[in-house]
Amino acid sequence: MGFFDYFRVALKNLIRQKTRTFLTIIAITVGSLSLILMASIIISIRQSLVDQFQQLGAFSLVTVVKDPNAISNNALIGSNGDPSEGKRIDDTTLATLRLIPHVAEATPILTPYAKTIRLEGQNKKNWANLTGFDPASDVFNLPVTFGRKLTSDDMDKIMVGSQFVQDMGFGGHPKDLLGQRVLLNIQTGPGSGPDWGALPQQPPLNADKSWYEAQGNAGIDIPAEIVGIMNNGTLDNGQSYINIAWARKLMTRVSWQWDQQKPEDQQSSNQKLGQPYTPSIPKLSLVKEDDFTRNGYATIILKVDDQANITSVADAIKKIGYGANTAKAMLDQINRILTMVGIVLALIGGISLFVASIGIINTMIMATFERVREIGVMRACGATRGTIRKLFTFEAGLLGFWGGVLALITSVGLGQVAHLIVNKTHASLGNIPIEKIGNFPWWLIVGVIVFTSLLGMVAGLYPAIRASRMDPVEALRYE
Amino acid sequence: MIELRKVSKIYELGGEKINALDNVSLNVDNGDFLAIMGPSGSGKSTLANIIGGLDSPDSGQVIVDDENIADMNDKKLSNYRNKKVGFIFQSFNLQPTLTAVENVSIPLLFAGIPPGQRKKRAVQCLKAVGLENRLNHKPGQLSGGQRQRVCIARALVNQPSIIIADEPTGNLDSKKGGEVVALLKSLNRQEKITLVVITHDRSVADEAREVLTMKDGRLT
Repeated sequence: MGFFDYFRVALKNLIRQKTRTFLTIIAITVGSLSLILMASIIISIRQSLVDQFQQLGAFSLVTVVKDPNAISNNALIGSNGDPSEGKRIDDTTLATLRLIPHVAEATPILTPYAKTIRLEGQNKKNWANLTGFDPASDVFNLPVTFGRKLTSDDMDKIMVGSQFVQDMGFGGHPKDLLGQRVLLNIQTGPGSGPDWGALPQQPPLNADKSWYEAQGNAGIDIPAEIVGIMNNGTLDNGQSYINIAWARKLMTRVSWQWDQQKPEDQQSSNQKLGQPYTPSIPKLSLVKEDDFTRNGYATIILKVDDQANITSVADAIKKIGYGANTAKAMLDQINRILTMVGIVLALIGGISLFVASIGIINTMIMATFERVREIGVMRACGATRGTIRKLFTFEAGLLGFWGGVLALITSVGLGQVAHLIVNKTHASLGNIPIEKIGNFPWWLIVGVIVFTSLLGMVAGLYPAIRASRMDPVEALRYE
Repeated sequence: MIELRKVSKIYELGGEKINALDNVSLNVDNGDFLAIMGPSGSGKSTLANIIGGLDSPDSGQVIVDDENIADMNDKKLSNYRNKKVGFIFQSFNLQPTLTAVENVSIPLLFAGIPPGQRKKRAVQCLKAVGLENRLNHKPGQLSGGQRQRVCIARALVNQPSIIIADEPTGNLDSKKGGEVVALLKSLNRQEKITLVVITHDRSVADEAREVLTMKDGRLT
């Protein structure tokens, strides 16, 4: 008997008990469907990360951080580790880093703190994640979909991500956002505030606790014109980009400070010494403080001439005493997490497939009981034990095969549905690109079908061996 | 030439040993027509099954065309059943879901004959037994006599040298039974097929060239 004969006979036998066959296949389908969906979610998350990294040119970027012991985290931009630890990053550092072989471009990064960001004239707010970089450098490959990139002359201009556009509830075409203004809300304090617009209110000489509390939570809206809209994927959709010169200005604060203690405090401390004292009136003076002068840059991001040199550059940076993050290290870490999640999910799917294969065993045992006489006839007509065993094993394998095929068809269908929903509603599941579920790599398709077929065959082995060991004489006499 | 030498077969039934065959020796010439008679449990079916290679003796030799089939492994014995033997059963043992042609093709499937030729030969055999108008009928759509003819066609399809028929007329009325026996007899004469028929029916045995009677596992 050739392969196609086994196939034909097995198929015919399965069709004889349509309902039972269908139910058994459904169990396999459900089990493998859960495996496929899990695998494809993990694969598509990983793929979309890699795609975004590649789009941003992230695989040739090294992020220099202050803390040499900082571990790679999943923020491509921004510092990690203890910002007060390690060496200060400033323009000298920048110059030194530029000298490292294979460093093609470099930009310092400042991340000014703004509480919220919102569209002018709208009430919806979002966290502001501002990244100030040097527009003259060609480090980022920012995917601008509408508008333009920042230039070195751009002050109070901003590039926002498409996520921002969505979150702001902006109904129109993203293009129409260009030229509109966003308001960055920067916190003010008692007698202090950003170096922008009017000076902060001077604290009165008799300022008490309630005055300070009243001033504590206020903020100033600083407008910025939208010049570019990016589709920077799921990686850092919340990031908005500004010129570093402007970032430095946003991080400059002015505050009123007394040149000496309040009169009553002067008195009390001098009275203790038992000396007569006439308090002098303290004077207020305006102090300007630049966060950059104190803390330096948050990070420096380097672009390496070739991805192959990433490790050598990172090593050189570590030698100078800074931490170095690379997209590869990040991706490796994410991969480790995804692999672990994958194993857990595979176990869950595996249990349902295990139950499904018990279903196959059950079905096939039933089939051998129903076909005892038939087995006898086949043996009388010249079928060897091996032929009988192969027939039943093949039949069980076919159950698994169809289960796998049905699971693939279903998951492609589900992928299409997800696609439609995503396209219609712009729904998102955090960082999970649901629209990509159902885009299976060929090896997953082949793998699933081969796997479920093999599973079916293994499950069918016991019933098949039972069938093959039947005594033909007994089988022919069986009622 | 079929030659049985001191063939014994013992069954155990409820802890009791039954001598199904007790030192049976027998010669059947090629092209012979042998009828085996005897009461139930006399061992005649066991004898037929051992000649047909469905069962193996506990001791003794069964030599068919100079080969001892008692020593054969499953693969060789299956090949022997496939190529040299055709079985005809009292209850026909046809596959109810398959058509007449498909039922007749079963032995060809195990012989490794390609599908196109299988169908051709199955149709030929069904024509030979007079069922050319029932090729695509399923057993349920056929009468008892027609079913037994399908069974005969199936036994013939691989051009065997031996046909073993266990009560071939047992489920048929005397007229249909007579037709079946006549068909078998013509095959025996024209194709020189050795015919071993087990029967209770005297009129069937009367058609045979040689009649053996068994009792308690022995030839009498």
